[in-house]
Amino acid sequence: MLLSGKNALITGTARGIGNAMLHVFAREGANIWAFARTPSENFEADCRATADKYGVWIKPVYCDLSDTATIKEAFKQVMADKQPLHILVNNAGRMDEDKMFQMTAEAEMRAIFDTNFFGTMELTRPATRLMARAKQGAVVNVASIAGLDGDSRLDYSASKAALIAATKKLAREMISLGIRVNAIAPGLTDTALVKDLSEKVEAEQLEKVLMHRKAQPEEIAEVAAFMASDRASYVTGQVWRVDGGIL
Amino acid sequence: MTNLEKYINAFVEALEVPAEDVAALVYGESTAWDSVGHMSLIAALEDAFDIMVDMDDIIDLSSFEKGKEILAKYDVEL
Repeated sequence: MLLSGKNALITGTARGIGNAMLHVFAREGANIWAFARTPSENFEADCRATADKYGVWIKPVYCDLSDTATIKEAFKQVMADKQPLHILVNNAGRMDEDKMFQMTAEAEMRAIFDTNFFGTMELTRPATRLMARAKQGAVVNVASIAGLDGDSRLDYSASKAALIAATKKLAREMISLGIRVNAIAPGLTDTALVKDLSEKVEAEQLEKVLMHRKAQPEEIAEVAAFMASDRASYVTGQVWRVDGGIL
Repeated sequence: MTNLEKYINAFVEALEVPAEDVAALVYGESTAWDSVGHMSLIAALEDAFDIMVDMDDIIDLSSFEKGKEILAKYDVEL
């Protein structure tokens, strides 16, 4: 198994790509601190069933990445387990309805950045220090092709571009501590985040994709699992497009 | 191992310096204690004393002696 014996912290695991990661990482043998924003019995049942199915432990941890205090409290729960942390997947993100820059209020832009960038960095800080204790680790940041191509709303695209730049800088800083830092950049993926797209917009986007279809969340999760695994031991500071072929 | 020994050992292991040199160490004044070494040191201290150091304290920890004051805030008596 790709991740046997590894302990992973994954954010945004209650739905979408993060939930697919929960299942794929567990299938590959990883124990998981499953971060989610909102407490839910369904989510906890999913964690229990997945853990039982694959013989790993999965611990739900609740945290709002736009709230520094909850990030700190959540990470204390991770520390309290006194287990090494091998993998951090910064998956949680926020994307609001598509709108033009001139129609986007500053408060909206800041809210997007709070979750997609600042909150993610606030979690990355203690997580990489925990990894540094063992002088090994892998961080996978879930960016977006919007961060490379600027083809979504401005604040979302810019926040993901910031995450990509942070990936490269962190890779430089962390390599001496044995930590690899990479990003994946998913294209249009079949999740609730894109459910609100009009058929016209979706068709326009898919026209650019060689495969002419959206990704399934599992297809993104599989790439993240590889990037997090030791099989990618010579890969750091990279951004891997998982977009069905946009050339 | 006493807390003071753990404290000294964190510097020795993170910065790869002899134990007799650690008391005089100041951040940025030796090649051993650069920004990369600083992160290793914080990780070593967190591991040794089972604490989570706040960002402001990470920045403030600029010498061996200052580190003692900071650890006191986390109820670590040296």
